[in-house]
Amino acid sequence: MPQGESAKRERWRPPRGRHRLPPEVIARSQRERLLEAAARVVAEKGYGPTTVADLTREAGISRTTFYAMYEDKEACFLAAYDTIADALVRRVSAAYEEEGDWPRRARAGLAALLDALAEEPGLARLALVDVAAAGPAAQRRYRAALQRLMPLFDEGRDFAPGGRNLPANTSRMAIGAVAGLISDELAEGRAEQLPDLLSDLLFATLVPYIGPAAAAREVGGRGQ
Amino acid sequence: MPTRPSNGNPSPAPPGDLEAVIEQERLPAGREDLPEPLIAHSQRERILNSMAASCAKKGYGATTIADVCEPAGVSRATFYELFKDKEDCFHAAMELALAEAMGRIVAVYSPDKPWATMVRDAAATFLDLLATRPGFARMALVEAPSSGERAFELYASGKRVLQSLLERGRDDPVEEQAIPSTAGRAALSAAESLIVGQILAGNTARLPELLPDIVYIAMVPYLGQEEALRQSRQAERAIVAADD
Repeated sequence: MPQGESAKRERWRPPRGRHRLPPEVIARSQRERLLEAAARVVAEKGYGPTTVADLTREAGISRTTFYAMYEDKEACFLAAYDTIADALVRRVSAAYEEEGDWPRRARAGLAALLDALAEEPGLARLALVDVAAAGPAAQRRYRAALQRLMPLFDEGRDFAPGGRNLPANTSRMAIGAVAGLISDELAEGRAEQLPDLLSDLLFATLVPYIGPAAAAREVGGRGQ
Repeated sequence: MPTRPSNGNPSPAPPGDLEAVIEQERLPAGREDLPEPLIAHSQRERILNSMAASCAKKGYGATTIADVCEPAGVSRATFYELFKDKEDCFHAAMELALAEAMGRIVAVYSPDKPWATMVRDAAATFLDLLATRPGFARMALVEAPSSGERAFELYASGKRVLQSLLERGRDDPVEEQAIPSTAGRAALSAAESLIVGQILAGNTARLPELLPDIVYIAMVPYLGQEEALRQSRQAERAIVAADD
């Protein structure tokens, strides 16, 4: 798992047009270029209106090359989606590895998530909102990405005194609460204000594990 | 970027007055005498049923007018007498689904009941409804949120009603602490995410088994862990007893 400043600050957006790419990036495979182009185009245009021609033009590859790699727009989008989700999960995990007890690390992970999403409103919307409109396969990818955060939430069980007695789906539901609150903001066009949501998200994350009184204390800062 | 009407803070109806909230959301009024309205005899209801079935099978986007007409045994001409287009039909099917859901919830709702009992009964009746109407369940919770503004708005109004019901818990919290204003919406999203996961996994018939989990997540911000766990175990025992 990547750690340290470089991983925390890792850009999760693919670089803008090819012309700005450094040489080592140009040398990367056409596949990587295509996936980056797909994320960019879909974030800007939305999934529905995006065509294969948009993707090949943006990536600077031929239709033949495209169809040699992916069956259709959906297959390409799904692969691009996985790349975005990977970068997001890596960034959250890197922040979460910080020193401290579970509530402190949960706060760091959530803050990193909100900062990453606020930096790139188009990609954020793509990752959490528009994905629902891209069909059942995309929805399953979205849910699979959320489940990758499960170990981070499950540590709440070990931290909480009565963690073993909590309902079986506690972590799944806590993730759903966080994703739901974020999606609501994104759907209303408030990506840039997402970092303001940190206290509410932290409360929603902690409350099933440690209860409302302790969660409110953590949100308010300890020792208060 | 299109923005959606705010679903964050519905202008508050008096707490406890669920019917006023439903009225305010302009939902089809919950009738107390809903006589299995989805077991359709009229052409219109047959069409709405097959719209829901097709949404469950292949999604709203891929559904064609033929998919809707053939199982319902009606002609395209009849379809277009009753509905303007596919979206109009989808909207009517959503209204029907919401009418039934709201009817069921109003039936278990009473301001005289303790909040915890009411939330548990509402959650139980909602899960049972979804389990017995898998097509409508998938349409309302998986398809509607991503199938255009009109459908989204209906879905969002239903959610706001549930949110109002849940937030009555703020009236009498057992523990004194600062609960964020988003706590009810967070709990609802948590429950929804769990339910949608089961629907997508093809486990719609087993949704009622989620009651103990959902009771816990709905109650814990307001009642604290101990009481929420007690309520959750009680819900679990009720399910086990019902299975025997």
